[in-house]
Amino acid sequence: MIGFAAPGLAALALAGCSPSGGEAAFPSRAIEIVSWATPGGPTDLLSRALAEAAPPHFDGRRVTVMTRQGGAGAAGMQYLQGREGDPHVLGVFTASGTVNMATGRIPFSPGDFTPILRIQIDPFLVAVRDDSPFHTLGDLFEAAHARPGEVSVSGFGAASAHFLGFARLRAAAGDPDVRWIAYEGSADAVVAALGGHTDAAHTNYNIVREHLRAGTMRVLGVALPVEALPDTPSYAEQGYDLTPVHWRGVVGPPGLDPALRAELRARLMAAIEDPGFREYMERAALEYATMADADAFGVWMAEEVATSRDMLRRLGILDE
Amino acid sequence: MSAFLDGLLTALQPGNLAALLAGSLLGVFAGAMPGLSSTVGLALVLPVTFALDPTPALLMMVSIYMAAEYGGSITAIAIGVPGSSPALATTFDGYAMTRRGEAGRALGISLFSSMSGGLLGTILLVVALGPLSRAAIAFGPAEYFGLGVFGLSIVANLVGKDPFKGIVSALLGLLFFIVGLDVLTGAPRLTFGTNALMDGLGLVPMLIGFFAIAEALAAVTGRRRSTPPGSGIAGALPKARELFGLWRTILRGSAIGGLIGAIPGAGATIASIVAWNEERRVSKTPERFGTGLPAGIAAPEAANNSCVGAAMIPLLALGIPGSASAAVLLGGLTVQGVAPGPLLMTERSELVYALYAGFVVAVLLMLAVGRLGIPLWTRVVRLRSSILMPLVVAISLVGTFSLRGNAADAWAALFFGLVGFAMLRGGYPLAPAVLGLILGPMIETNYRRALSLSSGSHSVFLESPISLVLLVLAAVSFAAPAVRSRLISGRTRALDTGPDTHEGPGTHEGSDTHDHEPRREEHE
Repeated sequence: MIGFAAPGLAALALAGCSPSGGEAAFPSRAIEIVSWATPGGPTDLLSRALAEAAPPHFDGRRVTVMTRQGGAGAAGMQYLQGREGDPHVLGVFTASGTVNMATGRIPFSPGDFTPILRIQIDPFLVAVRDDSPFHTLGDLFEAAHARPGEVSVSGFGAASAHFLGFARLRAAAGDPDVRWIAYEGSADAVVAALGGHTDAAHTNYNIVREHLRAGTMRVLGVALPVEALPDTPSYAEQGYDLTPVHWRGVVGPPGLDPALRAELRARLMAAIEDPGFREYMERAALEYATMADADAFGVWMAEEVATSRDMLRRLGILDE
Repeated sequence: MSAFLDGLLTALQPGNLAALLAGSLLGVFAGAMPGLSSTVGLALVLPVTFALDPTPALLMMVSIYMAAEYGGSITAIAIGVPGSSPALATTFDGYAMTRRGEAGRALGISLFSSMSGGLLGTILLVVALGPLSRAAIAFGPAEYFGLGVFGLSIVANLVGKDPFKGIVSALLGLLFFIVGLDVLTGAPRLTFGTNALMDGLGLVPMLIGFFAIAEALAAVTGRRRSTPPGSGIAGALPKARELFGLWRTILRGSAIGGLIGAIPGAGATIASIVAWNEERRVSKTPERFGTGLPAGIAAPEAANNSCVGAAMIPLLALGIPGSASAAVLLGGLTVQGVAPGPLLMTERSELVYALYAGFVVAVLLMLAVGRLGIPLWTRVVRLRSSILMPLVVAISLVGTFSLRGNAADAWAALFFGLVGFAMLRGGYPLAPAVLGLILGPMIETNYRRALSLSSGSHSVFLESPISLVLLVLAAVSFAAPAVRSRLISGRTRALDTGPDTHEGPGTHEGSDTHDHEPRREEHE
């Protein structure tokens, strides 16, 4: 249920950051979070956890998740983009969004939105079934060098954030011919590795967590050291100097007033410190990754588009 | 057993029981509303479950999932529009029975079969969790390809009197599935440069377009009277003897639903069509399927409810959602701090047993909610078609839009409405096109995936025993109708003239038999 926690009290606490002047005080109505992600998926869950935690930090206003799917996310983004300057409409942007910008699959660029707060990262990792002959990333890539085209890795999508995350790792390993087998979802890709149909799966920690605990799967390497995986060497520790991650953060419509943007960021920062939100982060095995300020998040998004575009050109998927 | 009784006591606690009941009501509603489905119903309550404890949250969700599978058959039977895609096969015989004036009987058969299928699926979940979860992951690209081809071979039984037109319809469905991003390369196909077509043409817009809009257009233009007349619709329920007489059909349907439902990604829609087809295959009078046979309702309805329990197998044992609805369920569990996977049974056994018991209670509540609703639905059927059809179209379009909050889906439904109307006028059956749209992606992506893994060698489809068996079954299934009709062509012709007089009253249809021809041809 959405809480209507003591609006007066919250307003008092936040009075310091409200913009002064003739304009109506923010928030003047309910907050909408536009969700263009699959229902129940990690991005949709973030939107919903945020909607749950936010009301006390938004003067008790209602926070609702509005589903607008379609066009690889473009339908929802278009709606957000059309609400220029309105601080009451937000969206959750992810690595998939910037990759889709790079491929041109969605007709937007980071400049079409106002970056507000990066919230979490979800490091990529490469996992195998417990009986796999591979124990390190080196084993996997050596096998691929020795038997070109015979080693397969399953993962979510083609020319997707997952695909590019793995492509960058493969490039760092000297471009061995590892076959990327694209699946409709990350869980499907893990099933393929579990069933022995592919040699490894490229996925995120929370999807294989239970299989790691049960010992039915092992991790060859993780992009960034994960607290829960103290014994698993990161990509860098295995000599691959890169840290591809999945990330998610909140953006607003274009043309947000800088003062309102700062205020939104402050309120959201408070919301994600909420005990309920912290619990969600822990349960979903995600790591906080807020950046110094909103501008840094904007720079990050632009860099992600550029890195993705470089990789896509290098692979010949995108024309020069 | 005592663990199960503990689970039952947990499920019967007032708060949990209330969650189960709320789930049943919402599930029947979401299932019956064209456009909405169990997935949408689950997504709707997802925020509500955040505030609940894990047990009632989980129970509410499984009860929605279960009840929605029956709910889909209500609209399928009452107005010939599948309320959700797993009820597609139920329209074949269910709607035919309603047109004959036996809506109450059809709904009763569906409810009883749904209940039995739901219980049998639950038993399968309890006793075969381990082995079936291992069998499920044995399905790789080659095996999915085999399953897809086997499913598509059913087209041979849906093409009607003119195989050419049936095949054209199936090919149209295969053409429509190509629209959208190619999973394996990420390249857009047949999107004509528009972003709206990027995610492809959905199954729900197609079902709404074909079965609601095209039918309404046909009714408006006076080509067909697609809803039954106001008089002569009986709310009479089927007799207990008739229901229990269907036990073989229900067992077969549940077994098919249980096996296909446990395979991640296959799903209740495919399971129910396969169940309908298998029932037709073993029948002594296959040519009468589609004219309102009780077995033609019982088989798909037992199958789609049995899928619910079965879909929990990969979810609970491996943490892998086997269907779109199971994926939403997994999201809900994650937020609750319940992580399905190999250790769930040992670490959270009390929750798992409460879930098992919850399934049983959910099935019984579905029976109660469903039974209370039947008089209402049989009254809806009595509405004049000039009132009913515009209502159906309006509700369907709203449902299609709310599915993803995207107006493009409503446009797609209108597009399919026009295509479907043109096909009906030309005498082309609609069901093969739906089958093409459902199975096309499974066949194509897995064919290419399998070849990518085998470095281009086709022998991979014959080396896998599962794939080989499925492909042989597909060949048999595809050839069977042609062989049978050659063997007994004389007898088939004799039966063609009067199936209705044999099966039931059906007299109100006498005057416009010709107008109903195309629809019925799909299945004869």
